[in-house]
Amino acid sequence: MLLFTCPNCGPRNETEFHYGGQAHVAYPESPGELSDREWAEYLFYRENTKGLFAERWVHSAGCRKWFNMVRDTVSYEVKAVYRIGELQPETLERIASATEPEQAQPLAPAQANPTTASEGV
Amino acid sequence: MWLLEKQYFLMQKGRAEMGNTAQNTEVLALRRSPAHHLWTDFTVGSVAGERGVTLREVPFQRMVGIRVDPTSEVGTRIGELTGGLPLNSGDVTTGESGAAVLWLAPDEFLVVAPDDGEPGPSALVTSLLEALGDGAGQVIDLSSNRTTFELSGPSARAVLEKSCAADLHPRTIAAGTAITTEINKIPTVLFKSADETFQLFPRSSFADYLGRWLLDGMVEFAAEGTSWP
Amino acid sequence: MSADHLPEHPEFLWRNPDPKKSYDAVIVGGGGHGLATAYFLAKNHGMRNIAILEKGWLAGGNMARNTTIIRSNYLWDESAAIYEHSLKLWEILPEELDYDFLFSQRGVMNLAHTLGDVRESMRRVGANQLNGVDAEWLDPKQVKELCPILNINDNIRYPVMGATYQPRAGIAKHDHVAWAFARKCDEMGVDIIQNCEVTGFIKDGNKVTGVKTTRGNINTEKVGLCAAGHTSVLAEMAGFRIPIQSHPLQALVSELHEPVHPTVVMSNHVHVYVSQAHKGELVMGAGVDSYNGYGQRGSFHVIEEQMAAAVELFPIFARAHVLRTWGGIVDTTMDASPIVGTTPVENMFVNCGWGTGGFKGTPAAGLTFAHTIATGSPHTLNKPFGMDRFETGHLIDEHGAAAVAH
Repeated sequence: MLLFTCPNCGPRNETEFHYGGQAHVAYPESPGELSDREWAEYLFYRENTKGLFAERWVHSAGCRKWFNMVRDTVSYEVKAVYRIGELQPETLERIASATEPEQAQPLAPAQANPTTASEGV
Repeated sequence: MWLLEKQYFLMQKGRAEMGNTAQNTEVLALRRSPAHHLWTDFTVGSVAGERGVTLREVPFQRMVGIRVDPTSEVGTRIGELTGGLPLNSGDVTTGESGAAVLWLAPDEFLVVAPDDGEPGPSALVTSLLEALGDGAGQVIDLSSNRTTFELSGPSARAVLEKSCAADLHPRTIAAGTAITTEINKIPTVLFKSADETFQLFPRSSFADYLGRWLLDGMVEFAAEGTSWP
Repeated sequence: MSADHLPEHPEFLWRNPDPKKSYDAVIVGGGGHGLATAYFLAKNHGMRNIAILEKGWLAGGNMARNTTIIRSNYLWDESAAIYEHSLKLWEILPEELDYDFLFSQRGVMNLAHTLGDVRESMRRVGANQLNGVDAEWLDPKQVKELCPILNINDNIRYPVMGATYQPRAGIAKHDHVAWAFARKCDEMGVDIIQNCEVTGFIKDGNKVTGVKTTRGNINTEKVGLCAAGHTSVLAEMAGFRIPIQSHPLQALVSELHEPVHPTVVMSNHVHVYVSQAHKGELVMGAGVDSYNGYGQRGSFHVIEEQMAAAVELFPIFARAHVLRTWGGIVDTTMDASPIVGTTPVENMFVNCGWGTGGFKGTPAAGLTFAHTIATGSPHTLNKPFGMDRFETGHLIDEHGAAAVAH
């Protein structure tokens, strides 16, 4: 059982979350102009990184909000947690090269992030 | 089926004749809470003493779902009725009306107030709707969506910890804290209303299952002494 | 006990050669698929100067970790063709390889627990019959007759509303299968090189000309990837993308029991698939862990849920004990069908994406992949399973028949 830290609710069991796959895959700006190959890349091709991987999770049994996480796909260790819309707190390479394992980013209180707070309203 | 139709008819009638206390009383008499059939079991299964734990259903609480940006103007307007809106996980605010407002998400809140005996929208709902006005957000009466179980006593936390993975230790969950989590996989809002009292809000359809589940978890505390039989 | 009483050391079934400077073809991955590919390259295409490179030990990946179920009751024509061909090969391989790997055609049931399951299953039985695959629909009573320990009461959370049944399906002894292929490959001159990890590829323009390994560089005219969960890692080294995701898939065994379970029972709905191995242990598979993972282990709650479902379906299992659990890394595709074909890199070929069901496909994967490598173009059976299907849209959606959701 993995322990994940929801940016809104704090540490909870893995079973309260659902997986959303690779993070930061943007919807194409002009889907109609893509070639079949490009559309296939958008639809079916995702990174399958062995090592540090930025991925999306949703706290489905809690606040029901999506967030991003950097996790090691070999050790399953969580390296960072950050909100949707935020940039990766560190580049993956920098986390990887750090001698000390990086702690999860300090969690900003909800009011510090009006973007998240107004999401879905 | 007849009961439902009759209930519906009386509800409509009740709405049409708001303030008709006799009619309201007749409607109220027909209400059945989701775990009503377990009330006797709850009484029998409750345990007194220093290892005690008591379970009861608190029926027909008024619940209102609010979705709004708490930092917006309309959020502030609503907050004036509710003693502000909670800003972080766990936070609960209480307004003059006595209703508790639980944080569910950065933009989602649950107002919980005791049964007000109103068959239609209560004053609470009406005032919240007025505060919302045409602002961005929503106010919805969710009263029958969830029921309330109250688990209290020295062993209440031990019963919950059997199947709730969230940290329920007082250093994390103080009295007056509410979280959304799972109890034996049942999505539940958990409100620690006092030091040894937990109010659990499962959706009504899970009431029977969660009620029996909690009763099962209470059995060991009824045993004499601390040793296993 | 003195040393005199110990059994004699068994004969080695294959040599343990050092890698040569060059080969006509190199297969990356010494699991079932790699071994079968080398076997058919040597046998059907006369390619004997070939090597299998295995980073660990022979058949120590998913080949050692799967639940050995063999069946061919897939929905679509393309899948039925390749899996049924695979099953027919399973039927003749013990004789052909001169090795009894205990292929036991004890039948496989796929349970239906909802009306949706029932409709989908009946549709699949119909499709199977049209494709010449032996498939039947069983009502709960017939299910009970075939597997008396199954609970068919209608008061359980997921009642048994019927099942598809394939009598010719079954299980085999996975390590014996690997040893059988390995021995024959070795006899035909194939070098099986263990403890040899591929660290990169040597390319001339877009053409692969060699393989970098922990035991030195090896020149080769052709490369075939048979690395299951690690295919993406190899593809990245080679410079192309491949649409698979690696997930942990868990399984477990109980202690040994008297024979209680005469067939194989699978439930797609609750993610339990059970058989009783020849020695007597109950072998059970679970669902995949939702997240991408390369650790050969998964989360405990997956096992817990699987056990809860298993005990409800088989009340007698409440008295069994979990002896060991483990995980393998399965390579899943978006349509739950494998990828067997060419790659954007010249002379490099890929066989992957078998997801949670690669064992049953071993012979057909080997046969068709060997054909693809030897001739440069796919066999009729694996032509529909090329990577191009994700561009053309000709997906082969087998999520229903694949048995483990992902």
